[in-house]
Amino acid sequence: MSEGPLISVRDLRVGFATEGGLVQAVDGVSFDLAPGEVLAIVGESGSGKSVTAQTIVGLTRSHNARIEGSVRLGAEDLVAASEGELQRVRGERIGMVFQDPMTSFNPVYRIGAQIAEAIRAHRPAVGKGEAREQAIELLDSVGIPEAARRVDDYPHQFSGGMRQRAMIAMALALEPEVLIADEPTTALDVTVQAQILALLERINRERGLATILITHDLGVVAEVADRVLVMHEGRIVERGSLDEVFYSPKDPYTRSLLGAVVRIDGAAPLRPPRTSEPLLEIDGLVKHYPVRRGLLRREVDQVRAVDGVSFTLRQGETLGLVGESGCGKSTLCRAALQLIEPTSGSVRFEGREIAGLSRREMRPLRREMQIVFQDPYASLNPRKRIGQIVGDPLRLHGRASGGEARRRVLELLKRVGLSAEHYDRYPHEFSGGQRQRIGIARALALRPKLIIADEPVSALDVSIRAQILELLAELQEDFGLTYLFVAHDIGVVRHVSDRIAVMSEGRIVEEGPADRVCEQPSDPFTRKLLAAVPIPDPRQARARRQAAGLA
Amino acid sequence: MGAFALRRLGGMAAVLFAVSVLTFLIFNVIPNYDPAVRMAGKSADPQLVASITEEWGFDESLPQQYLTMMGKVFSGDVISYQGQEDVDERIVEGIPATLSLCIGAAVIWMFFGVLFGYLSAVRAGGLLDKTLTILAVAGISVPVFWLAAVLLNYLAYETGLFPAQGYVELTEDPVDWAYHLILPWITVAVTLVGLYSRVLRSNMLDAMGEDYVRTARAKGLRDRQVMSRHVLRNSLIGIVTLFGLDFGAMIGGSAILTEAIFNLNGVGLYLYESIENLDLPPIMAIVLFGAFFVVLFNALVDIAYAYLDPRVKLGSEAR
Repeated sequence: MSEGPLISVRDLRVGFATEGGLVQAVDGVSFDLAPGEVLAIVGESGSGKSVTAQTIVGLTRSHNARIEGSVRLGAEDLVAASEGELQRVRGERIGMVFQDPMTSFNPVYRIGAQIAEAIRAHRPAVGKGEAREQAIELLDSVGIPEAARRVDDYPHQFSGGMRQRAMIAMALALEPEVLIADEPTTALDVTVQAQILALLERINRERGLATILITHDLGVVAEVADRVLVMHEGRIVERGSLDEVFYSPKDPYTRSLLGAVVRIDGAAPLRPPRTSEPLLEIDGLVKHYPVRRGLLRREVDQVRAVDGVSFTLRQGETLGLVGESGCGKSTLCRAALQLIEPTSGSVRFEGREIAGLSRREMRPLRREMQIVFQDPYASLNPRKRIGQIVGDPLRLHGRASGGEARRRVLELLKRVGLSAEHYDRYPHEFSGGQRQRIGIARALALRPKLIIADEPVSALDVSIRAQILELLAELQEDFGLTYLFVAHDIGVVRHVSDRIAVMSEGRIVEEGPADRVCEQPSDPFTRKLLAAVPIPDPRQARARRQAAGLA
Repeated sequence: MGAFALRRLGGMAAVLFAVSVLTFLIFNVIPNYDPAVRMAGKSADPQLVASITEEWGFDESLPQQYLTMMGKVFSGDVISYQGQEDVDERIVEGIPATLSLCIGAAVIWMFFGVLFGYLSAVRAGGLLDKTLTILAVAGISVPVFWLAAVLLNYLAYETGLFPAQGYVELTEDPVDWAYHLILPWITVAVTLVGLYSRVLRSNMLDAMGEDYVRTARAKGLRDRQVMSRHVLRNSLIGIVTLFGLDFGAMIGGSAILTEAIFNLNGVGLYLYESIENLDLPPIMAIVLFGAFFVVLFNALVDIAYAYLDPRVKLGSEAR
């Protein structure tokens, strides 16, 4: 391989013609990618980082896109290349991994067939059987257990982490020179994220594969990158080695990005233990789902989603509930709210047993307990205006109507950091962070005592997370709220919680004051969760990796 | 998979039972008038009415009447008292013509519906797309009887290019069979070609925005491979549902107008004649015959679904 950059991007500009005029998504971006290096492009949603990455292989080409500048891969200019020439480059010389492994595989084809398709698209001489053999080898090399059997699974039979591994295997199928990973871990749990990052790093080390890593998460960057570009509003505002960008950032935007990161190792605010009255007491809560099979749908097994959970939540405190996807934490929340009927166990709210209450009996209690959901995109009705969404609970519970409801909604919007002009807008006009504020305003409308926040910041950019967490803390102070804060990232949970409960396979494996759980974890699972949190500090990340390497 | 299919067929039996009970109630109980008189027809003598009452057990309890009726339907024992003929025999006689009409039309409507839908989607916004859109909307809007009349007038009577009516057995002369069926096929297919091409176009445009299509392009697949293997394949799942429903209903009597206009001696024409004469036994039998096909194809669609979309099958096993 000759010296000099593998990919050389010069003055790349990408604009999209929309009804509102030309939107300049990428505005004069230049950089080089050296052989064997990991280059991270960091920025918030909408900074143009994904558009830059996809434009390299021509995936943003469309009739309303204007692409200028040059992208050189060796002697070839990919901006000027024909579609046919680009097709030879995609997969063969540049492999791509995308954000959401749930939707990035075609659901109707087997995993192995989709990998084989990538191989045969470029090597028509390779037979189907041979391509399948190669797919098995590839799956095995990215750590899919029993690859020879799993190769014939459909995507929905894989977990999120396995799908992302398979996606990486597919990108590696033709031994490309460059791997572009576009937010490869954003949709994953922190523990799975740590595994995928380790895999990417191993591939980079073993194959010397040059990698462009697109991410919004500086913690991820610190773990794997050699060099960093920071993008903001379509431009590169900062570039340098990992240490330069982290320890001597020049641009104010980079500094604000670094400042916004919620750090697990940072000093948490001191919290005196609460001695107030219990608000929510859960005792021996169990939720089993039957597994039915066969012609007569006989119950052959049970999924123990929640398997005997007990805890007490005192008035005004925050309990952080942490665990991986599928550990039962969402089921626990829904059972606590009586949205699903628990199999057994007791749920007491202000000392009153609510497990087994009818819908009608629950109705007055619903005002007291509200939920904030993970996905601010899916949980707001796209056809309703914000004023209506936030005001609906008031009207439904007969608390206020007409002008009074409007006045209270405006007050709420202001309280969560939105303004009166947002009242008549629709959800799609808002960013993810603003939508989560709307979700919070809706939950607050009835002045509840308890708010269950189910992964409220997982779908948000790191820089937005801090703002939402701050808002939740302020609201707790002002309204005397009690939070059950659910998340897969123990770093986020530590920041907001008085106490933390760690959940695994339907049970709580460890519970205690937040600092104690994070600093002296007693359960191996807690230690695993803590180790998975990416630390936005390259030196510490290196030290941790070395320690792990020696251990 | 086998269990899923069996369970689905079990459900089908239950639906058929419900339909048969409804049919029984509608024909023999709800009218509140002696069913034997209505069955016997316009010029019935008391003797015939008495023998019908005896034969169908109309003086017995309702459940017994229902059982008698089902027994007669299943043993092919239903008789048209007006036409003095065996109803099941007439239905069986009509099946070849009806099947020829429906299957031929189905081939045409599926082929052109998918072809036009595909071309529209691939060239979305272009001249071809716009032309096909206009044609499709025109096709959907045209009433069957009007289209049939126009085709008959211009292609049969005035120019004599095609025969105006009649049915020739496939076994007798395949060429003549197709020649006689071309106009009826077109009549049945036009509306559905328009409908299917519109549905497929919109399904495909939705699918093009999916992440897995971007993945397919990122693998370096050629445009045509991306379109056919990923976009079209996934969009066809919805078309299969439509097809099952339409085809079942078509065999079950939806082609009645076309059969009547082109004088095709099929089940639809028989139904048409029976309705004209208010001849109850054949109407009843054909309603059950039609229901059977609608329900059958519904079940087949569900089973096909499990093959086309692996999530369906496994989704039902998991919970």
